[in-house]
Amino acid sequence: MRRDKKNKKGKKFGSQNKLTLFQKPEMKFGRSCPLSQKNSPVVDYKNIKLLKRYTSDTGKILPSRITSVSQFKQRELSTAIKRAKVLGLI
Amino acid sequence: MAFYEHTIVGKQDLSEKEVESLISKYSKIIDKSGKILKTEKWGLLNLANKIKKNKKGIFVHFKMESEGKVIKEIEKLLSIDANVIRFLTVKYNKLDLENEYFGLKK
Repeated sequence: MRRDKKNKKGKKFGSQNKLTLFQKPEMKFGRSCPLSQKNSPVVDYKNIKLLKRYTSDTGKILPSRITSVSQFKQRELSTAIKRAKVLGLI
Repeated sequence: MAFYEHTIVGKQDLSEKEVESLISKYSKIIDKSGKILKTEKWGLLNLANKIKKNKKGIFVHFKMESEGKVIKEIEKLLSIDANVIRFLTVKYNKLDLENEYFGLKK
């Protein structure tokens, strides 16, 4: 059991960067957080263009497993989106 | 003393004079024991959904340095004010005075 877990963790950010036809189900598609790179935009409740990218059409916050935003940035996003909703911007 | 950002949403059918008086009324209260670093008028913006029968709102934005007592006083007055729909205060450690997200189209 323990060995299995270790293997999966190792392959999470593995060398595989392209999807192939016959890939094993363990292989995950490595994609780093788009908001925590250098010169990435600041998460703020006034920056509506950015926030709209991370909400659904009905105004729900998209989960990080779809957008691959890091845990820290996802928390910032959710507070920013809620603040913008109070003012009626989103 | 701490830094705050304060936004007020006014009713859609306010005239320019009423907006000016609204700004001067609250900036006077802040000036008692604090500083206004910047005021921005975002103008008439569409609301995402109707709030108190308003489809649009007039947005005014303050960036200031003041104490918590003043904020309490302002929020008390704002909640009674009939010309205001919504308001929001956010506390910051640092303010950036350069970036403006609204009113760049003009």
